[in-house]
Amino acid sequence: MNASDRALSDAVASERNATLPGVSLSRWTMSYFAAGLMSFALAQGLMVAGYGYPHAPVEAPETLALVHLIALGWLSLLLCGALFQFVPVLVAKPLHDNAMPLPTLVCLLIGLLALLLGFLQLGGQISLSLPFFPVAATLLVLGFTLVLWNLGRTLWAARPLPLPARFVVTGLFGIAGTVFLGAIFALVLGGATSHPHLIELTARGVPIHAIAGLGGWLTLTAMGVSYRLLAMFMLAPELDRLSSRLAFHLGSGALAVAFVGGVVAICFEWRLDFPLLTAALLGLGALALYGKDMLFLYRARKRRTLELNSRMAAFALLSLVLAAALVVVTIARGDLSTHAPAIVYLVAFGWLSGLGLAKLYKIVAFLTWLECYGPVLGKMPTPRVQDLVVEPRAVKWFGLYFLAVWAGTAALLFDYPGVFRAATALSLIATVAIAMQLFRTRRLRDVEHATAVAAGARRPRLLWSLSRQA
Amino acid sequence: MTTPSFVDLDVRPVLRAGGEPFGAIMEAIATLKPGQGLRLLATFKPTPLFQVLSSRGFAHEARELEGGDWEVLFRPTAAAPAAEGAKTAPSDDSPWPEPVQHLDNRDLDPPEPMVRILAAIEALKPGEVLSALLCREPIFLLPELAKRGHGWRGGFEADGKTYRVEVRIGAGAEAKA
Repeated sequence: MNASDRALSDAVASERNATLPGVSLSRWTMSYFAAGLMSFALAQGLMVAGYGYPHAPVEAPETLALVHLIALGWLSLLLCGALFQFVPVLVAKPLHDNAMPLPTLVCLLIGLLALLLGFLQLGGQISLSLPFFPVAATLLVLGFTLVLWNLGRTLWAARPLPLPARFVVTGLFGIAGTVFLGAIFALVLGGATSHPHLIELTARGVPIHAIAGLGGWLTLTAMGVSYRLLAMFMLAPELDRLSSRLAFHLGSGALAVAFVGGVVAICFEWRLDFPLLTAALLGLGALALYGKDMLFLYRARKRRTLELNSRMAAFALLSLVLAAALVVVTIARGDLSTHAPAIVYLVAFGWLSGLGLAKLYKIVAFLTWLECYGPVLGKMPTPRVQDLVVEPRAVKWFGLYFLAVWAGTAALLFDYPGVFRAATALSLIATVAIAMQLFRTRRLRDVEHATAVAAGARRPRLLWSLSRQA
Repeated sequence: MTTPSFVDLDVRPVLRAGGEPFGAIMEAIATLKPGQGLRLLATFKPTPLFQVLSSRGFAHEARELEGGDWEVLFRPTAAAPAAEGAKTAPSDDSPWPEPVQHLDNRDLDPPEPMVRILAAIEALKPGEVLSALLCREPIFLLPELAKRGHGWRGGFEADGKTYRVEVRIGAGAEAKA
């Protein structure tokens, strides 16, 4: 093959890629959502039973197991499932590989199980002498590498990226950093290495691991996706203005300073205060600009009556504002470390989980509608997306959820462990009830029977979606 | 079928200068009138091109000239675009007839813009064109159009906010269910 011939076939290849338009359904996203919701319910069940903080110390193995069940089993799986569907939407390009998310999910779930068993082993609750931590490190690194590869290839093919997708890129750096540190911790705790720097990282690196995970990965990614989803669902303009770009740069800067500065400080045995405080200031700046943008989106919307998901997302944003305010107040009073658990709880349950549940309520209905009725639209009468849900029934469970979480935060702040357990019982009931609503939506239980599965439409499976492109 | 007329395109000077003629070829293809073919002169047998142009509805006939150059005749085939479905839908650059219907879906809640377009095109005849204004790229609509065998083309207007999509009812539109 000569040079011209090769140039021609390259052009032909790119031409062929360009002829695959639009976005199809992500096949395994529903499985991620189901696994996530089960982890979330299980974690809250354990908390109601008095497992982990505040009935055990923050650094106790029980608390660590609980935190990872929520951060990995619920929030990360939820976010991965959502990203496999919505990164293609953000960049208007198909997902690099629509089959890979299944083996990825298997790696992540078995890795999570091994990690939880590792913590139980660490706490002496199980006496099996299996290498749980090294297995967990291997599988979780593998699973998240597959996530990064799949989403990274999708994003790479779509350059130059729109602003929401750039938030996702920073979020992916966040998960890479989190997993990198987590794997080191697991190898040290599992006795697989005794390098002094790595032991030092394990002893002092936990705040950096948590900031990279909760702040970099979960929060920055949720911010990016919400710029686009809220604009889409409220008929508001797409934001790409100075404040949004500045929010992106400050947020990315905060992650970079916290992670690089933190790791360097530990390796040189410096104090962590300086990089973490700088990162906190940058992060608060990013959150303030983001809050301003979200307020603008709600005000500039063309859709007057808001759907449930947008109204509930506002409560999640309010939780984020409260958490940021608590950070400022406790830094000023000098008792941030005392109240850090309450703030982390509010971020994880009020902001991230609240936003996640609110958006799930819309996403599950929309994807189910598209899968079931997309192929027959225009050819026969079909229900609307909103006919798949019954908002008045769901709204009380969302209300209960947010009230329970805010009560739980107050209980932690003012040190009432019994009240915290009661509040968690209520948030568990609300979570299960919301999950039941999602199940009903997926099975078309609330659609009028006559139109539920008209001829030609296909009833969606609970856990996977049929791909619409061969 | 009558013998089509051919437009000549000689890419040998471009190739000898080390250039890349793909863009020029696709431009020439885009300006062809219905029924017209392309006579391409190249310094080698452009095998990769055959598949691309076959997916756009052109059959090829290649012969080696004296001196090692190649002449390839690309003739339009009547029913080819429909057979390829999804792949040809967005890459059809030939002139389209004036739209017979216009929709302004900019202020509708998603997914209503998609629902209205799919409903409207069911009433059109093959070859007819519908145009619609949207407030964002209709990423879930496009695969559905391709699957139904319709051609489409679209893009943002100069204001960067309005997306105009045109849909041409494909000859290969699937029979109504």
